[in-house]
Amino acid sequence: MPPIRPSSKRKPPPDGFSDIEEDLLIFSNKMKDAQNAPSDNIPKHQAQWPIFQISHQRSRYIYELYYEKEAISRQLYDWLLKNNYADAALIAKWKKQGYEKLCCLRCIQTKETNFNSTCVCRVPRAQMKGEDREVQCVSCGCRGCASTD
Amino acid sequence: MQPALKSTYKAPPLLPGWTEHKAPTGHTYYYNVETKESTYKRPVATAAPPTAPAASPASSFWQHQAVPQLNLSDPNVANAFMSQYGQPQHQPGQQRGGHGPGQRGGFQARPKPQPVDKPRSKVAIPGHEPWILVYTKYGRRFAYNSTKNTSYWRIPEKLMPAILELDKARIRQKAEGIESDQVAASEEPSRPAAPEQQQKDYDSSEYEEVEVTDDEDGEREDDGHASKRQRTEDLEDAENNGPVEFTEADIAAQLAAMGADYNEDYEMGEGYDDYGQGEAAAPLSETDARELFKDMLSDFNINPYSPWDILLEQGKIVDDPRYTVLPTTKARKEVWEEWSRVKIQELKELRQKQEKKDPRIAYFAMLQEKATPKLYWAEFKRKFKREDCMKDVKMADKDREKWYREYISRLKLPQSALKSDLKKLLESVPLSQLHNRSSTSSLPPAVLTDLRYWSLDTKSRDEFVEGYIAGLGPPPDSTGQQGQEEDEATAKAKEERRKREKALQDRERAVQEEKHRQEKKLQFERARLREEERELERAMQVSKKGLQSQLAPQDA
Ligand SMILES: [Zn+2]
Ligand SMILES: [Zn+2]
Repeated sequence: MPPIRPSSKRKPPPDGFSDIEEDLLIFSNKMKDAQNAPSDNIPKHQAQWPIFQISHQRSRYIYELYYEKEAISRQLYDWLLKNNYADAALIAKWKKQGYEKLCCLRCIQTKETNFNSTCVCRVPRAQMKGEDREVQCVSCGCRGCASTD
Repeated sequence: MQPALKSTYKAPPLLPGWTEHKAPTGHTYYYNVETKESTYKRPVATAAPPTAPAASPASSFWQHQAVPQLNLSDPNVANAFMSQYGQPQHQPGQQRGGHGPGQRGGFQARPKPQPVDKPRSKVAIPGHEPWILVYTKYGRRFAYNSTKNTSYWRIPEKLMPAILELDKARIRQKAEGIESDQVAASEEPSRPAAPEQQQKDYDSSEYEEVEVTDDEDGEREDDGHASKRQRTEDLEDAENNGPVEFTEADIAAQLAAMGADYNEDYEMGEGYDDYGQGEAAAPLSETDARELFKDMLSDFNINPYSPWDILLEQGKIVDDPRYTVLPTTKARKEVWEEWSRVKIQELKELRQKQEKKDPRIAYFAMLQEKATPKLYWAEFKRKFKREDCMKDVKMADKDREKWYREYISRLKLPQSALKSDLKKLLESVPLSQLHNRSSTSSLPPAVLTDLRYWSLDTKSRDEFVEGYIAGLGPPPDSTGQQGQEEDEATAKAKEERRKREKALQDRERAVQEEKHRQEKKLQFERARLREEERELERAMQVSKKGLQSQLAPQDA
């Protein structure tokens, strides 16, 4: 979880932070809401989905600002990673071919799954048939994140 | 079913500050401008009966993300959230979408377009070879000249006899059909009222009979607009050429062209059209649409750094008419992307310019505001240590002290001395930097970084500078031209914007008018169909035998 906004004691964030501060706050609030949401009446495996999703969205946001729009400085980008605003390991995957849209790291781990293969959401949609196309993965609720989807 | 529920249900009034919105997903949500909160749950006074969350039970987990800052600490909101969240997700056609709805495919917000009439079958008109009679899905028919590539709802007079023959032949077939099919015959008279527009399948040959009676009772001859109907020169040489293949594409093109002829048809009480989507209005050019969308983003002061999803969730722009000038969410996101890149670039450049601004300017401005002979440097420094310009590392503390002392000593000089100093300063600046187009708010750094400029009180200083500038000549050519070019560029941009906004207004008005016309036409059509219905019933009462005997002479 990212820190609460830097206090006056801490070194201030690099230039450009104020441009994205408000949206980061929105993400933080969403995250708090998701974490505090009661999970009694939903399947246990689904309870974590919103958290994965918000974390993904926020990482994607920062990734696009830096790599696609060149809207933030390297300095600020590094600072955001260091302060856990984005998932550096996930972003590292996005830079690799075939993983451009990967939902989460769990979905490419082979050990935990029954079939010793990656998650169902990694199967390209074109290879799925009928109802299988509507499938959501168990780990993060992803509906499909193959690069060709 | 939900629609029925919706029509009878009357929602309790919203609490003050809240407004109702439609999310791009089609869900209703509520937004509070003051607290910037939004929620699916209708914010009403607590005494009001509980209302169901507006989202459909089929709403998916991902669609949930269209709502920002769901306040789940509120148990009501949380329950609503969870009740939807726990629903099984049967949504055929739902996009597979990784995380984040805007990332791929995104929302499917647009309603499906209304069904549009289209050609269904065609028959050559015997003896008029290039001419074809085309039947449409909604049972209309029109004559099409495949050589001239023209079509007419109003059947040209000279084709009438041949078409009448075709119709008679069809009636005969129909009559024989009745003979062989008792059930169909007995059901015929009790047929329900006029077919609705929404009914898509007029497969029924019944409708064709409507057209037949139409011809036979002489309605066409009655309307008295024969001269106006048709440009006869179109028909004169129509027979000179052989038949031409009539492809699907041709038919589509024809129907599109017919949309344009439609007005005249309607005025005459003929024709039946379904171009309800405003096709009749001149469409906005794609460039205009894109620019309008960008204008909207700029007007709403959208932060170009904000992610698209959050922008949609906040719903500020979705109610603006310019939001729908682009047809799909994908197109909107694309234009937003382009806009945000340009905006971010502009901001970057602006900041670079500001950074280049001499740090002394801010410091001198502060001196003018705060410095007083009553404070020694050390005291002044301590008192204002939190000011940005006191911390600015681009200036040495030693310099700050020097300037402070100099400034304080200048405060003790008489006004006249300060003025003549300022005059000397202004005179030292070349005409290219200071000229009769300069203003007191855009003075060159050479002036702003000089303490002589800051020593007079603001009011008399600005008056003095203004007077001095007025007495100067114009700037040397090169810089002047640049300024002029900039002015022209902004004027041009303004004019272009005015034009596209007018195009949007025109389009909206045209759509309104078209809607109105559609309604009137629909009423007219219903009345006409009822009339024809009666005609048809009468015709059906003619016994099979009677009909056959009527037609007998032609058979012989
Ligand atoms: Zn996935
Ligand atoms: Zn995943």
